[in-house]
Amino acid sequence: MLSERDFQISPIVQESVMHNSKALQNLQSLSASLFGISAGILGLESYSGFLFYIFFSLLTSFLIYLVRVAPLSSPKGYKDNKGTGNGLGSGVGGVKKYFRSGFEFWAGGIMNGFAGFVLTWTLFYGLVRA
Amino acid sequence: MTWISNTITVFGGLLLAHACYSAQEHAALQSFRAAATSTLTSSTPVASSLPVDIAIETIVATLVIVLGLVLGTRPLRPIQWRVWAGKIEREGEEGFLGNNGEVEKDYMGNPFTYLESRPSFVDIRRQRKEFAEWIKNGGGDAGKK
Repeated sequence: MLSERDFQISPIVQESVMHNSKALQNLQSLSASLFGISAGILGLESYSGFLFYIFFSLLTSFLIYLVRVAPLSSPKGYKDNKGTGNGLGSGVGGVKKYFRSGFEFWAGGIMNGFAGFVLTWTLFYGLVRA
Repeated sequence: MTWISNTITVFGGLLLAHACYSAQEHAALQSFRAAATSTLTSSTPVASSLPVDIAIETIVATLVIVLGLVLGTRPLRPIQWRVWAGKIEREGEEGFLGNNGEVEKDYMGNPFTYLESRPSFVDIRRQRKEFAEWIKNGGGDAGKK
């Protein structure tokens, strides 16, 4: 874990944190409703619906990673004084450059959009199979 | 660049709407057929699942919309101060373009401008040189009289 001393040595820009998490949350809540629609159309029930949701949430995170995080996270030839490229490409695959923890990035969508998913899932299940 | 993601999203939305309509029609047809057969024969109706083409269309539509949404997200910013300030220093406004190619509204600019514009940091020799050049080239009317 990062201590206060670490934050003093390498400070965090709050505006960027807010900007990134807002961009991520917008996408996640929208896509969670979308997954609810498709789960309802497919007529999934109980566990298969939740597995569908988890799978597609992780897929969305992976797509963001491919589109937004991976191409920018490590400029070629950059090494810091420890020779690790820390800071520009830190964390697993450089996620830590844009988000505080990798868990927030990879699994945060599953919690953020869960309510929206269940809502549209039940709605479209009822609409299609009325 | 926004039109690419918008086009992909709208196309996926059309696919999804079509899949939804097809699934609804299929369900309606099934219930109708079940009602018709149950009056003729007392056999239990076979509960048929969704046709595989509708399922494929739904999955593909979902993937297409997600792709469009992901392409439409705003570019992320580095959260560590040194990386962020270094990016501003290196790229300036170029590094903070939104999807539509304009500088994002909440771009603040260099956080160190107040340091660099302090009197102690003004390069007085360069300014004197520039002033001398300006005089030499006969700039202004004061040198000529």
